[in-house]
Amino acid sequence: MSRFAFTLGLYRDYLANYMKTKLSYRADFWVEVLSDLLFNGLNLVFIFIVFLHTPSLGGWSEAEVVFVYGYFMIASGVFSTFFSAWNFSERYIVKGEMDRVLTRPAHSLTQVMLENMDPPAMFGALVGLAILISSWATLGLPFHWYDPLVLIVMVMGSCFIYMGIYTAMSAISFYSDAPTGIGPLIYNIQNYGRYPVEIYNKTIKFLLTWLLPFAFVGVYPASYFLGRLEEWWMPWLTPVVGLVFLTLGVAFWNYGVKRYRGAGS
Amino acid sequence: MMSMYLDFVRIRFLMMLAYRVNYYSGIVIYAINIGAYYFLWKAIFGEAETLQGFTVIQMSTYVAVSWMARAFYFNNLDREISNEIVDGSVAIQIIRPYSYLLVKMMQGFGEGLFRLLLFMIPGMIVVSFIFPLELPTDPMQWIVFFVMIWFSFLINTQLNLLTGLGAFFFENNQGIMSMKRIMVDLLSGVVVPIAFFPGWAISIMNWLPFQAITYLPGSVFTGRIQGADVWNALLVQVAWTIVLIVPILLVWRAARRRLFVQGG
Amino acid sequence: MLAIDVHQLRKQFKVQKNREGLKGAFKDLFKREHTEVTAVKDISFQIPQGEICGYIGENGAGKSTTIKMLTGILVPTSGKLLVNGFVPHKDREKFVQGIGVVFGQRSQLWWDIGVIESFRLLRKVYRVDETDFRKRLDELVETLQLQELLNRPVRKLSLGQRMRCELVAALLHNPSILFLDEPTIGLDIVVKTEIREFLKRLNREQGTTILLTTHDLQDIEALCSRVIMLDDGRIIYDGGLEELKSRWGKGREVQFQFTDPVTLAKVSELTGELEVRWSLDNDLTAKVWIPREMNVSEVLSRVVGRLDISDIKIFETNTDEIVREIYQSGSAEAPRDLSALTLGDDPDAAEKEPVQAGAAKR
Repeated sequence: MSRFAFTLGLYRDYLANYMKTKLSYRADFWVEVLSDLLFNGLNLVFIFIVFLHTPSLGGWSEAEVVFVYGYFMIASGVFSTFFSAWNFSERYIVKGEMDRVLTRPAHSLTQVMLENMDPPAMFGALVGLAILISSWATLGLPFHWYDPLVLIVMVMGSCFIYMGIYTAMSAISFYSDAPTGIGPLIYNIQNYGRYPVEIYNKTIKFLLTWLLPFAFVGVYPASYFLGRLEEWWMPWLTPVVGLVFLTLGVAFWNYGVKRYRGAGS
Repeated sequence: MMSMYLDFVRIRFLMMLAYRVNYYSGIVIYAINIGAYYFLWKAIFGEAETLQGFTVIQMSTYVAVSWMARAFYFNNLDREISNEIVDGSVAIQIIRPYSYLLVKMMQGFGEGLFRLLLFMIPGMIVVSFIFPLELPTDPMQWIVFFVMIWFSFLINTQLNLLTGLGAFFFENNQGIMSMKRIMVDLLSGVVVPIAFFPGWAISIMNWLPFQAITYLPGSVFTGRIQGADVWNALLVQVAWTIVLIVPILLVWRAARRRLFVQGG
Repeated sequence: MLAIDVHQLRKQFKVQKNREGLKGAFKDLFKREHTEVTAVKDISFQIPQGEICGYIGENGAGKSTTIKMLTGILVPTSGKLLVNGFVPHKDREKFVQGIGVVFGQRSQLWWDIGVIESFRLLRKVYRVDETDFRKRLDELVETLQLQELLNRPVRKLSLGQRMRCELVAALLHNPSILFLDEPTIGLDIVVKTEIREFLKRLNREQGTTILLTTHDLQDIEALCSRVIMLDDGRIIYDGGLEELKSRWGKGREVQFQFTDPVTLAKVSELTGELEVRWSLDNDLTAKVWIPREMNVSEVLSRVVGRLDISDIKIFETNTDEIVREIYQSGSAEAPRDLSALTLGDDPDAAEKEPVQAGAAKR
C-alpha cells in the first residue's frame, strides 16, 4: 500500500471517528458552525458598514470586496477543516502528547493534523462559495467552463500557503517551550489578505505578497475571476507560492521534530 | 486579605514577564492591527474630509487608542475558567479560603497591568511616531480616560467571568466563548466606531454593555465626547459594572450548587 | 537474541534558567541563560527477549528519559542503542510497529467515543490485518474482561478500566516489546493484581519482553526477575530482585502507638543490645527499624509486655526506601555479570559489561 493511500485512508477513518464523537454532542457541532459563521459575519458586517459611507475602497466596489471575501472564506474554511492545531504547543509539547504521537507509525504532522480536524469549518467554506456565486451574479462576470477547475487549483494553492505557514508556526513550539504568541500574530496578519492590497502602503503590500503571502489567500486569486489584472500572472502564482510555502513549512516541521527528539524535555 | 489578592496580581504579572516572546509578538500584533485599520480607514475616507463627524486624524487616533485600550482590558479569563471547570480543578480552587471569582479577576488585572506598562504605553509612543495621531492636551482628559479603561476592564472581565462559568452548564463552552468574543469586538466599537452603524443598530447598542468597553473611552480620548457628557459616559460604565454583578452572582450560585450536588 | 541492547547511552539537555524575582524576569526578557543537564550518563545494559525488567529510581533519576530514547521519541546524545534490532530514532515509523507503549499518566484513547472505536482506529494506524485484529482483540478482551466496556466512551471509564483498555490499545499490533511507564499508578489493589497477572500471562504465553518503570515494589516483586536501578543518570544496581532485597531492603519498620507518653531513652532501653533504631514521632508514637535478619517478634516481645500499646503497624520497605538506603550508604552494588544473561548467541555481548556503572556515587 502506498504511503499516500495509507494517509488518505487514515483521513477517512479519523473523520469517521470525529463524526462519531460529534454525534454524541450534536448541539456542540452546530454551536461551532454558528460561531464560525458569526465570525465571518462580523467581517461581512464590517464590509457592509464601510460601504454605507463610501462607494469604493481603493477603487474596489462593494460587490468586488465581498467577492474577495467569499473566496477567502472558501480557502480558510477548507484549510481549517484539515488543520486546526491552534493549541499545538499547549497540548502536544507542554502536556507531552507529542511523545505518544512519536510512538505511532505514521508521520507526526499527519497525526497531529488528523487529531485536530475541524469539519464544522467546512460550512464556512460552503457559505463562502454561496457568497462568491451570488456576487459573481451581481457583478455579471462571464462564466467559462474551466472556471470551477481554476477555482479548485487556486483554493488548493491558498490552502497550501496556510498549511505551510501554520505548520511552520506550530513547529516553533519545538524550539521554545514558552507560548510564543506567534500564532495570534500570524492569524491577525492573515486577516488582511482579504482586502485589496492596493489600500496598504508598500511595506505591508510587500509583506502580504512575499513574506507572509496572505494576499494569495484572497485578493490575488480572486482578481483572476474579477478580471482585475494588473499583471496577468499574479493569480497564477498562487499554486506556485503554495507549493513553495508548504515545502518550507513541512521541512521546518521535520527539522523541529528532529530537534525536539534531540532536546526533549 | 487584600495583600493576598495583590499577590495574585503580582504573580500573574511575573508570569507574563516569563513569556517574553509573547510580549514581543503582542506588540507587533497590535501595531499590525492598528496599521491595517489605519490604511483601511484611509481608503474608506478616500477624498472625504469627515465621515460621521470623524476627521481622518480623529479616526486614526480612535483606532490606535481603542486597540491600546483593548490591550489593557482584554484577557482570556473565560477560557481559563472554562478549562478549570472542564478539568475539574475548579473544585480545588473553590475549597480554598478565597473568592475564586475575585482571584480570577486579580489575575486578569495582573495581566492587564503588564500589558498597560510594557505594551500599551510603549506601543502608544511607537504608534504616535508612525501614524499621525492627535493626543489630548488636557491632563483631565488623560485622567478620565485611564479611569474609564479601568471600568472597561471591569465590564469586559465580568462578561468573561459570565461566559467562562457557562462551562458548568454547557458540555462544550467553546462556541459560546468565541461568540462572546466576536460580539465584544464588533459591538464595543473596536472594529467600527458605533457612530458608523445604521441608526437602528445604534439605538440597540446603546442599551448593551459592549459600547462601554471601547467606544465610550475612545470617544472621550478623541474629544468626541466633551464637557458634562464625559460624566454621563462614565456613569454608564459604572452602572453597567454594578448591573453585571447580579447575573454573575446568580450564575455563580447555581454553579456551586451544581458542583456540590453533582460533583462537577 | 537481545530485545534491548544499550551501550554507553548518554543524554544531555539544555535547560533554560529562570532568574529570580522581578529583576531577573526582566533580564530573562532579553537574554536567556542555559545550563546543560546530563539526564542519562553513559549507561549500558542488555535485556534478553522474554524478560520482565523493572526500571526504578527516584523522580528525575533519568528513567523516563531512557524510556523515551528506547521508544524512539528522543535521540540520544551519544552511545549505542538497539531495540528489536532497530536503532529506535532512525526508521521510527517502522520501529514503532514492533513496540507497545503505555504511559500510565497519559491516555492514548479517544476521550469521547467508545473504546472499540479507538481500537479500530489504531488498527488502521498500525496497519493490522482485519482478521488478525479480530483474533487479537477477542483474546485481549476476554483475558482483561472488557466485554461490557467496549462501547463505553473513555471518559466514562474508571481509572482501572481505562488502564486495561490502554493495555489493549498498546498490544493490538502484537508488539514483541512492551514499555510501561508507571502502569499501576493510582490504581486500587484489585486492579493492580489483575494487571500484574495479565502482564505475567502475556510474558509467559507470547514471550513479550516487558520493561516497566514503577514506584511500587509490589509491581516489581510480582513481575520482575530483574531490576535496574537508576540514580542521577547512572545505573547503581542491575541484578536480581531477591539479591536487591536481601542486600538493601534489609529492614522493616514497626510503629507503636502507646497509651502513655514515652521518651526515646525509655524505648531504646527496652530493646537494649538489639541492633534496632528508634525514632519518636510524638509523645505517644514511636517507630523502630528492624534489620531483615532479625525477627520482628523478638522486638515485639520486648516491648509488648512492658508498655501499654494501643496500636501496632508494620511497614515493609518499598522501592523508594531501598533506593534511598542505597544512596545513604554512599556506594552502590556492582552490576551482576551480564554475560550470564546473553545465553551465548551474541558473541559481542560478553564484553559489553558496564564497568563504570558500579562506581561510587555521592
